Amino acid sequence: MYSIVTISLSIFLLSGCSQMLTRVMPYEKEYFAQEKMSLSPVAGRAEQEGHIFLIREASAGGESSFQGGCGCR
Amino acid sequence: MKKTVLLLLLTLNIYAAPKGGDQEVAFRLPKLFTPQTYLDSKKLHNKITLLNIWASWCSGCQAEMPLFVKLQQAFDKKTFEVILVNIDNNADNARDFLNNVDPQNILTALYDQKKKLPQAYQCPGMPTSILIDKQGKIVKIYVGSLDAKEMLTLQKTIISLVREK
Repeated sequence: MYSIVTISLSIFLLSGCSQMLTRVMPYEKEYFAQEKMSLSPVAGRAEQEGHIFLIREASAGGESSFQGGCGCR
Repeated sequence: MKKTVLLLLLTLNIYAAPKGGDQEVAFRLPKLFTPQTYLDSKKLHNKITLLNIWASWCSGCQAEMPLFVKLQQAFDKKTFEVILVNIDNNADNARDFLNNVDPQNILTALYDQKKKLPQAYQCPGMPTSILIDKQGKIVKIYVGSLDAKEMLTLQKTIISLVREK
């Protein structure tokens, strides 16, 4: 009787580790795939925003990874 | 102790995803364009099938769809059939997409709203295509979008399967 309880409990605990229960499966990512979920929701406006930033802050550059990030050029 | 280990191994086996050589997962799903009619997987025996699990929001699925139309055009539906299984939350998105890509309705499209088939196959990525032989056994599972070169290799595999008795 004791072993049956132990086995049942271990099966229950092991099933809890199933990846089906712990991660969002690829076929469940419909909402993540929506445009509004992207880091820059309106990608087409990024250039405009960069231009506005340049005028307002009087600085340019540092947007891409290969630059130093100082913005001095 | 031995019994415990055996039972645990059996339990883990239950959770294992279907793989090449295993029997296909049986299904009965409504058609995407005519939801009142259903397609049973049993009816697909005696022909080679390519089960494609896709969604209209998945860019990889969108990219490979025109190649599936060409692939189906290369074969008679009596010997080989592409079965699309859509898992969109809204079936209209899938219908709109297919109306653009496949206006002649060459591909057979089904709708799996509850996503039971991808759950059963434990699809590790989208899209997933499963090649099934005449006996209903899984030949190969393709995860990810297939390009033109891979589609040619797939076509050769299908031809060899069609020739098998």
